[in-house]
Parts: sequence; C-alpha cells; structure tokens
Amino acid sequence: MKTRSAKPLRCLRLLSLVLPALVSAFGPAEATPQQKNTNEELLVVPGDAGHSGGRLVVSLRGEPKTLNPLIAADARSREVIGVMQADLVHINRATQLTEPALAKSWKISADGLEYTLVLRKGLRFSDGQALDADDVVFTFRVYLDESVHAPQRDLLIVGGKPIVVRKVDAQTVVFQLAKTYGVGERLFDGLAILPRHLLEKPYQEGKLGQIGTLATAAPQWAGMGPFRLKEYVAGQRLVLERNPYYWKTDAKGNRLPYLDELVFLFVPNADAQVLKFQSGETDVISQVSAENFSVLSRQQKSYAMTDAGPGLEYNFLFFNLNDAGEKTSPEMQRRQKWFREVKFRQAVSAAVDREAIVRLVYQGRGGGIWGLVAPGNRRWGDENLAHPARSLERARALLKEAGFSWSNGADGESVLQDADGKAVEFSILTSSSNAERAKMAALIQDDLKQIGMRVQVVSLEFRSLLDRVTQTKEYDACVMGIASFDADPNSDINVWLSSGGTHLWNPSQEHPGTPWEAEIDRLIGEQMSARTFEQRKKLYDRAQEILAEYQPMIFLASPDILVGAKNSVGNFHPAVLEPYVLWNVEQLYLKSSPENGAR
Amino acid sequence: MMRYFLRRLGHAFLLIFGVSILAFLFTTLAPGNYFDEMRLNPQIAPETVAALRAQYQLDRPLVVRYASWVNSLIHGEMGFSFAYNSPVAPLLLVRARNTLLLTVTATVLAWGIALPAGVWSAERVGRLPDRLISWGTAALLVIPDLALALGLLVLAVRTGWFPTGGMASVDFEDFSLLHKLRDLALHLALPILALVLSALPLLVRHVRAAVAEVLGAPFMLAAQGHGIPRRTLLYRYALPAAANPLISLFGFSIGALLSGSLLIEVVMSWPGLGPFLLEAILSRDLYVVIGGVLFSTVFLVTGNFLADMLLYWADPRIRTKSGAR
Repeated sequence: MKTRSAKPLRCLRLLSLVLPALVSAFGPAEATPQQKNTNEELLVVPGDAGHSGGRLVVSLRGEPKTLNPLIAADARSREVIGVMQADLVHINRATQLTEPALAKSWKISADGLEYTLVLRKGLRFSDGQALDADDVVFTFRVYLDESVHAPQRDLLIVGGKPIVVRKVDAQTVVFQLAKTYGVGERLFDGLAILPRHLLEKPYQEGKLGQIGTLATAAPQWAGMGPFRLKEYVAGQRLVLERNPYYWKTDAKGNRLPYLDELVFLFVPNADAQVLKFQSGETDVISQVSAENFSVLSRQQKSYAMTDAGPGLEYNFLFFNLNDAGEKTSPEMQRRQKWFREVKFRQAVSAAVDREAIVRLVYQGRGGGIWGLVAPGNRRWGDENLAHPARSLERARALLKEAGFSWSNGADGESVLQDADGKAVEFSILTSSSNAERAKMAALIQDDLKQIGMRVQVVSLEFRSLLDRVTQTKEYDACVMGIASFDADPNSDINVWLSSGGTHLWNPSQEHPGTPWEAEIDRLIGEQMSARTFEQRKKLYDRAQEILAEYQPMIFLASPDILVGAKNSVGNFHPAVLEPYVLWNVEQLYLKSSPENGAR
Repeated sequence: MMRYFLRRLGHAFLLIFGVSILAFLFTTLAPGNYFDEMRLNPQIAPETVAALRAQYQLDRPLVVRYASWVNSLIHGEMGFSFAYNSPVAPLLLVRARNTLLLTVTATVLAWGIALPAGVWSAERVGRLPDRLISWGTAALLVIPDLALALGLLVLAVRTGWFPTGGMASVDFEDFSLLHKLRDLALHLALPILALVLSALPLLVRHVRAAVAEVLGAPFMLAAQGHGIPRRTLLYRYALPAAANPLISLFGFSIGALLSGSLLIEVVMSWPGLGPFLLEAILSRDLYVVIGGVLFSTVFLVTGNFLADMLLYWADPRIRTKSGAR
C-alpha cells in the first residue's frame, strides 16, 4: 500500500513546488491578497502573534436583521456589522482612546473647525475593489442625506449644521464643522465607510434601505472589516469568512485576521446561549448574567470565565416630572408635588441600599453608582462626587424638612404622609423581561417601606413600559438602565439635555423646565465645544455635581461585564465597551491542539 | 357534495378575513411600536424616530394601513417587516418550513403511537395495562411542556448525546448526505420527543374512549358472534366506527401544526416560527405578527376543512343531512 501511494505523493510534492513558481512567472504581477503589497500601508497591531486558520463560533441572542449600517437599529446587527465594516478612526476598546484605522493620520486646524484625514494607501474592500477619498465622501453624503433616515445623521450635526465633507486628493478628505467639537476625532468611530461601487446606484434609485438584507448574495456585499459574508441560513446562523484584503497585520507582518471563519449562531435567549457554551458548541460568550456566571464558573474546565470589571451600563430610578398641564389628574398632581420636591428625591436616594442591590442582584459583580458616569468609564467620572452610604436617618431628616410627617397605619407600621395628611404611596414601573431590574425595584420597595413609603412594583412588558414613559407619560416612577456606547459624554448627550429624547424624567422640553436643567444644558453645550480635555472635564464634572444634587435620576448600580472563552482561544482580552469580546476579533486565534486542528 | 364543499370554503374565507381584521386591530392597539426602543438610544434624536415612523406609515389611520396591507397580501408580500426591512412572506415561509418539519414528524409519530396504544387500552378497559396507560398519560398531562423541554435539555447537556438546540451543526454544509440526515435526526430528536410526549396523552385518551364506546355496541357483539378475528374486529370494524371524534381531533392536529410547537421551539432554539414570532411580538414588528397569526389561521381552517371533508366521506349521516338541505 505504501509503495503504491508513494509515487503520486512525490509527484504532488513536485507540483506544489513548481506550480507557485509558474504562477508567479506567468500570472498577474499583483501580489495575492495574503501577501503584503509594497504599495499597501498596513496597520501593524501590537500583541501576541497567533496562528492562522480555524473557526470561532459565537452565539447571538436572536437574529441580526440587516448587514446594512444605514438601517441597523438592533444590537445584534450592529455586532455583526462591526466585524464586517471599519471606520476612519477607531476607539480602542481596551484603552478607550482613539487610534488610526482606515485613516493613517489626522490633523485638526488651529480653530478646531477643520479635520484633515489621510487615508492609508492600497486599501481594498473585501471584494477587492479599491477604497479612496470618493468612497469616504460618498459615505458621509449618504449618512447626512435626510431622506435616508440613517441613525448616524444625528451624530454628524454639529452646532445645528451638518458636517461638510470635501475630497482633497485620492487619499485626503477634509471635514468642515460649523462649530468646534470637543468630541474630536472620536466622532468617526463606528461610522462604517461604505462601498460606493456597490451602493451608488441603489442610492440614486432611492433603494438604499432595501439592500444589505441577510439574504444578500456574498459577492454583492463588501466592507472594510476583518470578515466578509459567506453564508446565511435563516433563523440558524451567519457564516463570515476572513477578508483577504484586510488592512492590519500582526507584529510579525502576518496579515490579519487569523481566523478563517467566524460563525454567529442565533439562539433565542440567554439560557440557550449558556447551554451552547457549556456544551462546547460555542467558543466565547458575553453579556452573561451574574447568576449564569456563577453556574459557569463552578463548572469551568475547558473554558475560563472572566469578570472584565464594571461596564458602562447605569441603572437608575426616576420619577415622572413631566408637566402635562390640565390633563393631569388631581391624584397625579398630588404625587408629582412630592416628586418635584428635591428633598423628597434626595431622601429616596439616601434610603436606597446600593450595596444590597449589588450583592443581591449582581451577586457582588458590580458597583453602586451615584452619577451617570459608570465606574467602567475611566476618564470622565467626577472624583469629587460624594458616595454617601445608605442613611435612613438622613432620609427621614430630609423628608421632615420638606414638610412630611409620619403616622401609625392600621397595621401598626409607620406611614409617611404629606403636609395634607395624605399617605405617600406610588408605583414603580419595571420591565418584566429584565429580571435584574425587577429585583432592584423589589429591593427599593423594601428600602422605602422603612421610611414609611408605600410602593407598588408594576412589571410591564418592555414596549408597554416605554410607551408609558415616553408617550402617554402615565406613571409615577420607573427603574430603567442605559448602556453608554462610548466613554465620551457625547454618547449620553440626549440624557443630559432638556431637549433630549432620553432626558427621561421630562423628555423633549422646548425650554428647560428648571433653572438647574438650564444650567446643565449650558454646561453640556459648552463642554461639547471646549477644545481641551481638561476644559471639558471641568464643565462635565460640574454637570455631574448638579445632577447628583437635584437627583432627577437616582442612580443605583452598574453591573460588571461578565464573559467567558474556551481555553483554546488566544488573544482573548475582553473590554468593558461594546463589543465586549469581539472588539479585537482580528487578533483572536485558536491555539494549536488536536481538537482545533480537526475543525 | 359541491354545495357542502363550497359552503365550507366560504366559511373558511370569512373566518380568515375576520381573523385578519382582529389581528390587525389587536396588534395596533398594543401599546408601543417598533421604533420606541430607538428612543432609548441617547444618540438618536426624536426627530429621526418620528421620520422613521412616518416612513413606515405608522402615523397613518388604521383603515389606510389595513388597505395597504391587504394590497401587499394580494401581491404575495403580507406586509413589510420593520426589523428585517423586507417583505414578510419570504421571512415567514422559510421559518414555517422548519416548523412544519418538526410538527409534521411529531404529529405522524404521535398518531402512530396513539392509535394502537388507544385501541390496545380500550380492549383492556379496567385491567392493569389500561390502568398503566391511564396513569402514564395522566402523568404526562400534568407535566408542563416547558418543564418537559427543559428536562430534555438538561439531559442533552449532561450526557452530550444530543445537541443543545438548533437545527443543524455548524459543519452541516460540509457533511455527506448520510451524515446530514444523521445530524438532522439528532437535532430533531429532543424537540420531537417533547412534542410527542405532550400530544400523546390527549390522543391516546380520545382513541381509547372512542373505541371503548364502540366495542360495547350490539353490532360489535354480533360481529364477534360471527367469529370474526379480534384484530380484524378492532381495526376494520371498531376503529372506523369510532372515527368521527378522531377525525375532528385530526383536523385540530393539522390546525396546530404551525402554532402547537411555538413554546418548544423557543426553549429548544429551533429556528421555526416560535422564536421568530416571539421576537416580532416583543419588538412590535407588526406585520410579521399579523402574518404569523394569518398563517396559523390558514392551517387551522384547512385542518377543519379537511376534517369536514373526511367526515363527509366517512359518515353517511352527514351526507344524508347535507343532501336533504
């Protein structure tokens, strides 16, 4: 058997030596995408060099809806798009600072109104077509076109005017701002550069929204990210393959990404995600709840669970401070009179046991918060912001100062009553689909009972809750959470500004309803146009202090980012900014092992 | 026959029309809409959300939207999914196919087990085997479908014998045909087991009751007296005579083909209509929900229609009654 097979094998070896030489002699002069072309300005990424090949399987909690960045509204689509597209300047999720991406360098003019970005040479989309300044200009024209309704448009309106984009030469683009913008080059993070050669025609025909569905044929879609579309099976999985034209290399000069394939499996819920990871069907897992984290940590053998530390999600309680005028019922008017009393809100804040929330809701994997800037945000937190411990005495004293008193209820319990002798009783809305927030609401109910407040917790389906809070405004108080996309204050601009849609306690005000909201508007507005970090930080700190003093949002806790990966996954360095585990997907690799080799 | 057939068909269309209006009305009355969640994104301005609502006609009157939806139904689109930004019909069809693979197999298996088990039990009414079957089916009846599915998933994780959900392995496309069939069978095993176990008690009990009633009838005693073998007696004479309630039940089984497995699909990550519709309901992807309801209604109506036709064929009394009219 051996003697018979030896001959063809030798022939094959000979062919394998001769063929590449023949191809290089008579084939196209251009280098294959795997090799570095001398005209290419590739970005060298520091870090451990890995092995090429293999497939990484990740589960997504639900199916992404589109590959088109112009219409992506859900987190899953954004996660998938994130590995298929690239931006001009990128925020490094580990350092939280900007770094060059498709633009190799940038320069900001002395007046801060002009940003000149220089693109890398030799950039190619995943279908091999070249990228130049025309693609960049086209991309921003599309983002800014009102008829496209791209969510990115709001980010590109500075000082009330859209950014003007101008091509200087094939590698250079100038962005003209109407007003100085403190956010600086962070502005470009997450704004995918679109392939003009594929999108210009549909754009002119007004059909941009209809393309980039998941059913798109692989050759008809391209991006600048480390992976490109290979296969989509409805309801089951999305398979991406490595982009051979990707513009990053490792320290040894190997073109990234290392992985041949990245597979997203669609699972309907968090428990299914855990089961898939536990049984070894997926390689990494993120956004694990504290409860599941404990279960997985107890059983870890072939994988390791990691607590990446506090994230950027902040959970809070807020009261209904909307002014509905004459439409408001007398009952609601009476309750809103309490809610509008600053000392009432301060008393509630003082009575809430944040430590208990962290301990019981997050099993200790989180931290109490007293402001909007979560502990995971390293640069923008106000160090001088007080973190007062829970004090029922202080809560009672504040309520007394505000004219509240206590009486004995029918069951012998102390009942808080207002100046008119009416018992303080209200409800807290919470989302029925978020078990953690439901637990928080129950703990707050218990905390407030100790100062005589009677609180009912009402669990509502999330859309119904949103409808109550943002549309009908028929609610007393609500427990909610927001996860910032970025560490920069710009990420939460609509929470801060009284005109913002996520200024949840009283959204979309025509004029600031209170002097302190006007002051916050002024400070946030000024910091957005301040030129240096120090100036911005000073203004932002002051805004945080005002928020902490007036307590329109009573901040509760921020969970840690809990993730896990098989021991075979190399370069796994989870971050606290989204996407937590795939932010460096181009560097992830599978360590050599018989099991991985078989894949 | 034709008059009976046309009358039933007319009823079916009226029912589907009524359901479409109710589905439209109820989904529209539900608080919130698809774009509400965008309001929680601090980077998106309320004006953008309002513009998107307008783009998808959510600010138009209900009647206008219904008319527009009927128009798209005529064109085979069944409306437009806000989430997927594409027509609803192809989205539903591909998932309905997965659901049908699961439910048709489970229904065939469940009936295939229930018929002989029910007849066997009916033949032994009051004896130990009948009691054992009664206890077994009672036990299965009290176990909620959710607990059953979760129990099977735990089994999959602990033993590693079965995949923990989904419909195919990641390498499916690279497998040989035989390997593909094996992989599909492994993925189908647990959801089908859960569906069969949840359907079996009701079917077995109905078959048992119907056959037991017929077995005591005078014509059966007469047939027995003529020396007809027991097996022939049971399957050739007793079972057809007991068929009426079973045919109705069979109609319902067909009606439940699309909607009966939704919960199991969600728990077992089966890529059918279950997870798809659940997500659509939670995200208020209005036309997907309406399309799903309409799909299920069509199956229910078809099941009942088929049952009516089978009854017409099986029961001369119905033929006579309908002919007399």
